[in-house]
Amino acid sequence: MKRLGTCAVLAALMTTVAATAASAETIRIGATMRMISENGQKYGQMMQDEFDAINAAGGINGAEVELILLNDECKSDKGVANANRFVYQDNVHLVIGSTCSSVSLPIVDVTAQAEVPQIIPHSTNHEITQKGSEWVFRVPISARYYKGVMAKYVGENIGTNIAYVYASDAAAQADTEGLRDEMRQQFGVEPAYWGQTQEKEIDFRSHLLKIKTLDVDAVFIGALQEPMARFLVQSYEVGIPADVKRLANSSASNAPVPKLAGDAIKGVFFSAAYSDSDDRQIAQDFNQLMKERYDVDKVDHDFSQAWDLIRIVEIALNNAELELTDESLAADRAAIRDAIANVSDYQGLASGPISFCAESTPECRDGNRTPVLIEYLSGGEDFEVGILDRVTMPVDFGLE
Amino acid sequence: MDVVLQAPRNGIARLAAIHPVLPWIVAFVVLLPLPYLTTNNYQIYLINHIGVMIILATGLNIVKGYCGQVTVGHVAVYAIGAYTAAVLSVYFAMPFWITLPSAMIVSMLFGVLVGFPSFRLEGAYLALATLGFAQAVEVFIRVTDYLGSASGLGGIKAPVLFGFSFDTYQTYYYLMLPFVLFAIYFAFALLKSSTGRAFMAVREDPVSAAATGVNVRRYKLLAFVISAAYAGMAGALLAHMRPGYIHPNNFTIIEMVVVLLMVVLGGIGNIWGAIIGAILVTIIADLTRDLYHYQLLAFGLVIVGTVLFMPKGIGGLIDRYFVSRSFVAARDKTAERVRTQLDGDGEG
Amino acid sequence: MFFDFLVVGLSIGLVYGLVALGISLIYSGLDIVHFAHGEVFMFGAFFGLVLYNNMGFSYPITLFLAMILTGIMGVILERVFYRRLTSQGGGYTVAGMGMIICGFGMAIILQNVAFLIWGAEGHAFDLPFSMPMQIGGIALPKAYLWILLVSVSLMVLLHLLLKKTKLGLAIRAVAANKDIAYLMGVNVPLMISLIFGVACALAAAGGVLIGPINYVQVEMGYLILIKAFAAAVIGGFGSLPGAVLGGLTVGVFETFGAAYISGSHKDIYAFLLLIIVLLVKPTGFLGVLAKVKA
Repeated sequence: MKRLGTCAVLAALMTTVAATAASAETIRIGATMRMISENGQKYGQMMQDEFDAINAAGGINGAEVELILLNDECKSDKGVANANRFVYQDNVHLVIGSTCSSVSLPIVDVTAQAEVPQIIPHSTNHEITQKGSEWVFRVPISARYYKGVMAKYVGENIGTNIAYVYASDAAAQADTEGLRDEMRQQFGVEPAYWGQTQEKEIDFRSHLLKIKTLDVDAVFIGALQEPMARFLVQSYEVGIPADVKRLANSSASNAPVPKLAGDAIKGVFFSAAYSDSDDRQIAQDFNQLMKERYDVDKVDHDFSQAWDLIRIVEIALNNAELELTDESLAADRAAIRDAIANVSDYQGLASGPISFCAESTPECRDGNRTPVLIEYLSGGEDFEVGILDRVTMPVDFGLE
Repeated sequence: MDVVLQAPRNGIARLAAIHPVLPWIVAFVVLLPLPYLTTNNYQIYLINHIGVMIILATGLNIVKGYCGQVTVGHVAVYAIGAYTAAVLSVYFAMPFWITLPSAMIVSMLFGVLVGFPSFRLEGAYLALATLGFAQAVEVFIRVTDYLGSASGLGGIKAPVLFGFSFDTYQTYYYLMLPFVLFAIYFAFALLKSSTGRAFMAVREDPVSAAATGVNVRRYKLLAFVISAAYAGMAGALLAHMRPGYIHPNNFTIIEMVVVLLMVVLGGIGNIWGAIIGAILVTIIADLTRDLYHYQLLAFGLVIVGTVLFMPKGIGGLIDRYFVSRSFVAARDKTAERVRTQLDGDGEG
Repeated sequence: MFFDFLVVGLSIGLVYGLVALGISLIYSGLDIVHFAHGEVFMFGAFFGLVLYNNMGFSYPITLFLAMILTGIMGVILERVFYRRLTSQGGGYTVAGMGMIICGFGMAIILQNVAFLIWGAEGHAFDLPFSMPMQIGGIALPKAYLWILLVSVSLMVLLHLLLKKTKLGLAIRAVAANKDIAYLMGVNVPLMISLIFGVACALAAAGGVLIGPINYVQVEMGYLILIKAFAAAVIGGFGSLPGAVLGGLTVGVFETFGAAYISGSHKDIYAFLLLIIVLLVKPTGFLGVLAKVKA
């Protein structure tokens, strides 16, 4: 009986070893994202579909791409566990992740220690690329670029007396603190009001009532989608007049916000990486494709960034010389890293070119530095946005 | 099956007969080569995680399983332990050997705070009071810049001993192992002592416990403080593990439910149960990682199913197995004796 | 300014109170704390959303139907899952933590089932209310008026049902002592199902009424649930008028805390108040004597 048990354990161990060994000759990519959201599922599906399409068209230089999608629920411990599984157990060549800055931050250390390239689809927190890992690349726009564009535009066109409220979420916090710091630096002003709320807050009116008495030029809200919509609606309920400009962080570009907030979204101003009212042909085609495939009416920058990421990965993989054997894993990983670092002047859905370079500095690794300034013209199901400007920031902007 | 379950039991008993600490030393030696039996680093990472969870669940088991106090605040104390260690390491550059005891001490102070309502409250009321405490702590961390608020607190240094840094999962395992074994050993020793019996008396009936001279308040508070020390230790070990980053999302009510599940699945009031629970839950959670939200659905179903159909957990099943075995053995023995007697009578 | 804060506090307090009603009812009848009630509330809101937005029922009928549907769902939950626990403790009571853990598990199950059906995105009711009411400096959506009317009338109705009818007497007998009620010929299992069903219907009323102001989303239940717990305990666990009173207290307390102490710490105040009330006067404002372990 006892011997039988030991045999079973050994057999199980051997199958695990066999399973890992059998899957050579493929390029393995692990993606950890917040899959428990509507968009998370859809762009997860989009990644899967795109890599399937690449495989159907003959793969990358003959090799198949295998995508392993995991959910981290926006929790750092789960994200770290996923990343560890990718790099040590699944032996992936590339890690994609994560959606949330608070998950990407610790994963950067995991991939740096294991020496696996990591490419980030959505996280905007500026510290991610400032850790000095030579293995990390960022496709979305760093918070340091957003804040610069926002501060300059807001300070010159709207005013400098601003009240800030933000939800406890790493990206919202980085965006809000960034704008505050930049207003200090560019115009020497302190916030008129500074308040924080919980991630899923339902009642912002006590903050808003206090802001109402302060006679501010603008109110900035950094939050996720539903709370942001509530905040905007409640700002009118407490009687903050319409000529006080409502500013928001890039989550305002997510489609549910204008649908939920209705008329309260009108005039809201934010910066993002992409707008679906972009009139370039590539953007129009992309909007059409997303509508047909995933029934997405209004394509936000989460989709465009995921798309750009796939294209960049495709280019890099095609350029990298990979052997794809068990022994060459480390060399292949380094080759992919160098191939991504060599991607330069990629023209995609992003409003400006995306370029990386070899040094492990934020200048090299924050690839996209062209935020779009967007204003909502109307809300509801058929909301409309207008593009105010596109600004390509200098590479070293916002660095000490 | 008999052999598999009975052999280690007898072995442990034989070792313990020589010296009570001997089984633990043997366990330590047996567990030493574990990282070399795994196929990759990820599995060692999981094992380290299981270690933290064992300490956390054992602590919860002491206050909940043995002393019968329904607390939902354990995860808050765990968070306090982790953040104490993190703050001392990040802002004051203190070594692990100071942050860990400090985390335990601070946690114990908060253990007093969580335990205090238990003087007057029971069951549902105590659960709600501790839930309020847990929520307040979580919100406080989220809005306090000093604690990293929503961005999390990173850069917690790896423990260093005589210039040797425990900065890989493998080395961290060897740091963790003595702590885990000591935590389990202490739990066993505690529960065999008069304190442990007092805990159980309080659990069964506080009124009659008081009548027999047990200072109910003192023992309730003691149970909370000891379990808080466990949570503090688990928190500090989590904080210092690579990549040395903690975030309030790791200490929410869901994490509390996970620990509860470990204790309940393993068997409430059964130390081995909590350990088995910690191992099983971590491994099952890992195996179901590819299923996204179906994983959470399955997790919910396991919780409900365990409570409904297996309220004593796996530990309870094992216990029952041994109880029924000794019952069968006793019955067989009696039957044998009766038969011999009858045979003797027949001859006579 | 003071008046404005008061209006804000009272209006959000009404929301907490409405959810607290169901929690309090379950506790008074069954001695259990139902941690999945926030998810029942969410299901009620989604039922309402489907009935109103997709099937085109008028708002009052939506409210009524959603309450019926969720009530039935509650009875099913109780019969299929919780009955095993409530019948274990002898006399249909649960001492200890089984029910608490089971409630958490059920909350996770319900949340993920809802996610699989409706997805994670927030949905808005196509607003059924006309212009908001202007009270002081605040424009309150009419939804709050509905919440006030419905929660007070539900509270009064239930209070009358419990105190004036024979059915109410039977329910109170079950709440007081299940064994004796059983011996007196009360159909205890039926009464327990009834209590649970009505409590879930109350949660649905909350969902349909609160949906228009806070949107309907799978994660909407938890934050309101814990505030409602605080409200129920502070008002007096097991007392229906206490639940509403407790809700208003929590709403006003946290809004004034946010106004005059620190806005960022708003969500801590309710829990501090909860702990203080539990330590000083566990019975809350209007509660009957706190029950000791059954």
